[in-house]
This record gives sequence, structure tokens and C-alpha cells, in this order.
Amino acid sequence: MRLIYLAVLVLLIAPVMAGSGDDDGETTSREFSLRVDEGVKIGEYRVELINVVSVMDGLIEVKVWKRVSEFEDWRVMEDHRDSNFDEGADRGGLTLTVVEIFDDDTIRMRAEYRDDYGYPRKYTTERGLAPKNLPELIVEKKFDRTDISVNDEVKVTVTVKNVGNDTARNVLIFETPPLSQFRYLAGYPPKIKSQLAPKESDFAVYSMVAVTEGEVLVPALVVSYADAKGNIASVSSSSFTINIKPKRKPNLDLIVEPVPPIEHGGTGVINVTVLNNGEASAYRVEIKGETTPADGGIEVTKGSLGKTYFEIAPGASENYSATVKGSRSGNYTATIKANYQSDEVIMQKEVSFEIIVLERPYKYLYFVLVLPVLLVAFWIFRRYKEYKY
Amino acid sequence: MLNVLIIGVGQCGNRILDAINKEAFGGSTRLSKYYSRQKFPSRVETLAINTAVNDLKELRFTSANDRFHVPNLHGVGANRTVGKQGFWNNQDMIMDEIEKRGDFDIAFVITSASGGTGSSFSPLLIHELKNQYKNISVIGIMVLPFREEGSIYLQNAAFSMRDMMEVETDGLILVDNQYLKRASGDIATAYDNINNMVAQRILFLIEALDNEMLSVTDLGDFKTVMRGGMGMGTIGFYQADKKTPSLASAIDNSLKPSNLLYPSNVYEEAARAMIIIQGSKKYLDVDVITTVVEKLSSNIGHVFKGIVVKKGLPKVLSVFTLEQAPELEQMYALAAQAIQEEKNRKNRSKKQLDDAFAYIEDLEEIY
Repeated sequence: MRLIYLAVLVLLIAPVMAGSGDDDGETTSREFSLRVDEGVKIGEYRVELINVVSVMDGLIEVKVWKRVSEFEDWRVMEDHRDSNFDEGADRGGLTLTVVEIFDDDTIRMRAEYRDDYGYPRKYTTERGLAPKNLPELIVEKKFDRTDISVNDEVKVTVTVKNVGNDTARNVLIFETPPLSQFRYLAGYPPKIKSQLAPKESDFAVYSMVAVTEGEVLVPALVVSYADAKGNIASVSSSSFTINIKPKRKPNLDLIVEPVPPIEHGGTGVINVTVLNNGEASAYRVEIKGETTPADGGIEVTKGSLGKTYFEIAPGASENYSATVKGSRSGNYTATIKANYQSDEVIMQKEVSFEIIVLERPYKYLYFVLVLPVLLVAFWIFRRYKEYKY
Repeated sequence: MLNVLIIGVGQCGNRILDAINKEAFGGSTRLSKYYSRQKFPSRVETLAINTAVNDLKELRFTSANDRFHVPNLHGVGANRTVGKQGFWNNQDMIMDEIEKRGDFDIAFVITSASGGTGSSFSPLLIHELKNQYKNISVIGIMVLPFREEGSIYLQNAAFSMRDMMEVETDGLILVDNQYLKRASGDIATAYDNINNMVAQRILFLIEALDNEMLSVTDLGDFKTVMRGGMGMGTIGFYQADKKTPSLASAIDNSLKPSNLLYPSNVYEEAARAMIIIQGSKKYLDVDVITTVVEKLSSNIGHVFKGIVVKKGLPKVLSVFTLEQAPELEQMYALAAQAIQEEKNRKNRSKKQLDDAFAYIEDLEEIY
């Protein structure tokens, strides 16, 4: 029984003995890197790098605080010197040492602490999560048209916008050398303001003319800028490919509505539509018309089969009509020719169609057929009567 | 131009006249009258006279204007006495109808010798024509009956032929049905063939009399021929074919009994003759014609010859009058026998009837 009481006593006392030994527990040290606005969690302690005060002097500013307690300590630390926080590692606190300062942003630190605090775990501090006062530019390079043919003028718009929360300084545009496929007219190279306030944007426009057909890779445009600290950053637009089509040409279609057969001595209307199906304007359009055979069997009494237009834009059409009179029956062929120019090149279109002038309607022509029958019938009847007794 | 009047009297005369009109149309089909015109060689007027309207209705090629129905008569029943009375009653009307057709140089009166209307009207008509048209020649064309047709027909033939001769016709052309029947099969075909034969010959004769000839015969010659012998004659005709185009044989054939309208031996019985030869010039050898005609002349009296140059194989028409006609005498004998038999039959019938009536001679009807 005594042995049982002893065993129970040992079991009850053992944890108490183990807990009372914490203060005297073993410590461990770990090294880790930290950036400004980053922190590490070591047990209930939080170590946050506030600032690299001076790389040259080896000074940094840290904040150490303990969760669920009132402990908080702001301190400037000198590199290679141990600093105890909350009475140091030997008494359950922390002992921190700056091992190396890499730059204004990054350091390496060693922490000594009780072994049971576990491994340090990084996190971003609330200050780090808060927005920074830095400029940020976005740049866009845009053509005003995507369907480009040789001789087309293209306007290129370069837009730079500061979407950051600090002024961008020394803003510079680096455009690629002129593309050989284009002839540059004005505004090149593009220039914009050297400073852009937050939310401010600027743009530059330049124009050029496509001179050779084929596929062209339009390279990215690079914009460099600096922040308040003089840190230089750059941003570029997207590169893209365009296809320059062959030179645009006009293409006239002469559309003639079918002319119904014209009665002898009657009139018919010829409606002509001149449609520019091409991609360029047709200039100095001169239309002439004639009918064959030219025996006077058909004549234009109103309007004309010919017409002239200075310009017919692509997709546009012109209409005109002429009234013809058929004075002799037959099949006539009307031919309409259109001569037009585009970039000093003369082009021609022609259309022919048939005009039928009907035979003179002899309304009583059927008598020619009926009359002999009647005459024969009359003759037979007369003979029948003559010989009927 | 010769002005010719052709009158068909009675059923037989009407039909022959119709055949002449058909021949003038070309004689090809029944429908020829609807598409063709009559082509008579001269100015020919035709008239069909009949007492039976149905006989007139049967005609096909004679115009309605040329058909005259003697009013109020429906045939005379082969009774010449009734027929004669009918003519006398309507004489003016008949002559007026003829007068409408103008003046004529020659008239042919075609009739059957045996029928009622034709046999009774024709002698009287010819007599009136001779009276009314002083210078006209009237030729009778008389068709003799089949001998077996009956006693009345034979009797009519005998008396009407005598009447025709008594009215001083300018000539009588005989056509003997009995003789011509042998060439045809059934009676209907025989009649048609006879009618066509007569029509063809009459038109040929008229054409020949009114044509410019290489050797001339004219109406006067024709009259002279018809006045020869008994004043009655007939017509022969022959058309050569390609196998035997010989002119001499054609003339000979036209004189053969088989090609005559009345049976006769020309070389022995003819009194005067007229030979009309038509054909292409290459066939018309005058020496041959002269030789044949001279041969004929040496046997009979005078022979007139006419030569008509017309494209085609030789056609020969011979017209002659008879000096003697044995066949006619036989027919008259038959007719006399028939009349006697008819008389005997009638007497027997009368006696039988009288004997029958004798039974009630002294009796009266009692009621």
C-alpha cells in the first residue's frame, strides 16, 4: 500500500518538478534574414525590423513585443552587439544580435532564446502591409487602327499613367529606333512630362505612314522613372504584331438592273448603280455608254448612259438612270464603260447588257391565220350550198 | 368559142350530166367540187330536168341552180303519156329555165330511152329547142335499156326513139347499157362506168370541136356526120398506153366494137365518120393518120379527121353514124313482142275480171 501511495505521489510531483525547472531551461540560437516591415515570431515574442538606420554605421531600428503582455521595446541596435530583451534569453526573454546589414532594406540577425520557443517564423508586419508611398507607372502604346494597308497613316498614342501614391520623377520614354516599314511624319520620338503626380497621366502622339506590306513586330516601349529616394524603376508596354496589307485600291462595280423588254415605240428605263467595292476612293470616274447595233433602233430620250463623278468613296455608290426608246424591234447590246483613277493609276470597268425591243404587236395578226380558215370554210359552205339541192 | 348546152333529162340523163360535171372538175374525188373549179373546154351550160325530186337530190356535182324539178310531179311511173302531159303543162317554165342560160350553138339532150320522164320529155324538149333556137344543132344522146329490165322499158325505148327521130333531131348518139354492161361487174358499177365513159367522150368531143387543130374539124363537120345514114350513131374512144403508144393501133382500137358505146361493125355499118386524134406532136404522124382514114373512107362514106396537138399519149375519138343497125332491129322486135305480151296479159286479166263480174251481173245488193 505504501508502494502504491509512493507511486501516486511520484506521478503527482513529477510534472511540478518539470515545470519549476523552466527558468533554468536550455537556450538555443537561430539566424534569419529580415527585411524592413518583416518580423519573426519566436514563441510569444515578435521581433520586427522597423528601419535600417544606417548601413555604414551598422544601425538598425527594431521593435520587440510580447503577445498577451504589456512588453514592448523599441530599440536601435548596433551590429555585432548582443541586445537583451525582456531580461534576455537566460531569463526567458530574447537576446538579439545583428549579424550583417545587407542594404537599406535587408539584414541578417541571430536570436537566442529558450529552446522550447521553437523555430522563428516570419511574417509581414502591419506596417509592411500598409501601402507605401511609391510611384508606379503603367505605359500603353496603341495604334489608332488595326487594319493597315500600305500608304495608310497610323497615329500611335503613348500613354503613361502614375498609378502609385508618390510622384514619379525623371520620367523618360525609350522608344525603339524608327521602324523601317513606316515613314514617320510628326511627333516622333514621343515626349511626355518628366514628373507625374499620383493618378496623373500623360500621353504623346506621333503619326507615321505604312510604306511596305508585311508583318511587323512593334516592340515594347520602355519608360523609366525614379521615386523620391532616387530609386530608379522602369516599366514597358506590350509588344505586338501588326500586318500591313497591300496598297488599297478602288474597285468599281457597274450594276445595271435588268431592263424588261421594251414594246415597239415604247420606252424603258435603265438604272445604273456605280458601287465602289474597293478599299480606296475612285477618282475622276468617267462613265460612257453606247448601244449596238447603232442603227437608230434604240435611242436615249432622257438622261444619258454616261456620267462623271469626281470621287466615289470606298463602300459608297452612285446611281443614275437613262430612258431609252425602242423604235425598231431587235436585240440590242448596251455597253457601259467606267474609267477611274487611283494614285495616278487608271482603271477601267465595263458591263454589257441586252435590251430587247419587241416586235410591233399586230393585234389583228391572228386574222391572218383565221381568215384563210374562214375563207376556206366560207368557200366550202358556199360550194355546199351551191350543190345542195 | 362554142356555146354548148347540155341537158340531162330523167334519172339516167341527170346522172350522165352529173358525170360530165364531175369530169369537168377533174373527175378525181367526190370532194373535188370543194377545192376545184369546173374546166369546160367551151362555154358550157348544164341543166338537169326531172319530175322526181329525189333523183335530183342524188346529184353531187351539178349545182343546185342547174337542177330543175318539174313542179307538182313525183315521177311519171315510166308512163310516157303522163310524162308528155307533164311536159306540156310545164313547157313554158322549162323553156324559161333554158332561156336563162343564153344562146347556144349546139345542145346535147341526154336521156334514157326507157324511163318515164326522159323518154317522154326529150322528144318534146328537142322539138321546142328546134323551134325556139333556129340555128341550134340539137343532138340527142339516148341510152338504151337492159333488155331484161321489163316490157314497159322496152316499149318506152321503142316509142321514144321513134319520137326522137320524128322531131328531126340533128343526130342521135346511142348508148347501149345492155352492150356496155359486159365490161362491168355489178349493175351499180356498170351504171357508173357507162356514165363516166359517156361524160369523158362528150367533153372530148366538145374540146375537139372548139380547139385549134392541126387538121380542122368543126361543128359543121360534126353536123354533117350526124346527118349521115340513119341519123343515129355512136362514139368510140381509145387512149394509147405507154406499152403500145402506136397511133395506128390507137385509131383502129377506137373503132373496135369493144370501145364503142353501141355495138356496131364500123367498117360495114357506118355511114359517115369523124376521127379526132389528140396527143403529143411526136406521136401524130400525119401519114399514118391519112392511111388509116383512107382505109376507113374506102369502106364507109366520108370521114372527117381532126388532129389536136396536146401533150400526152394519143387519144382517139371516133364519131360515126350508122347506115344499118341490126341490133336496133332486134331490140324493136323484142319491144314488139313485149308489147304484144303485155297486151295479151292485160286482155287475160280483163277477161278474168269480166268472168268474175258475170257472177253478179243480174244481182243487186241487199241490205
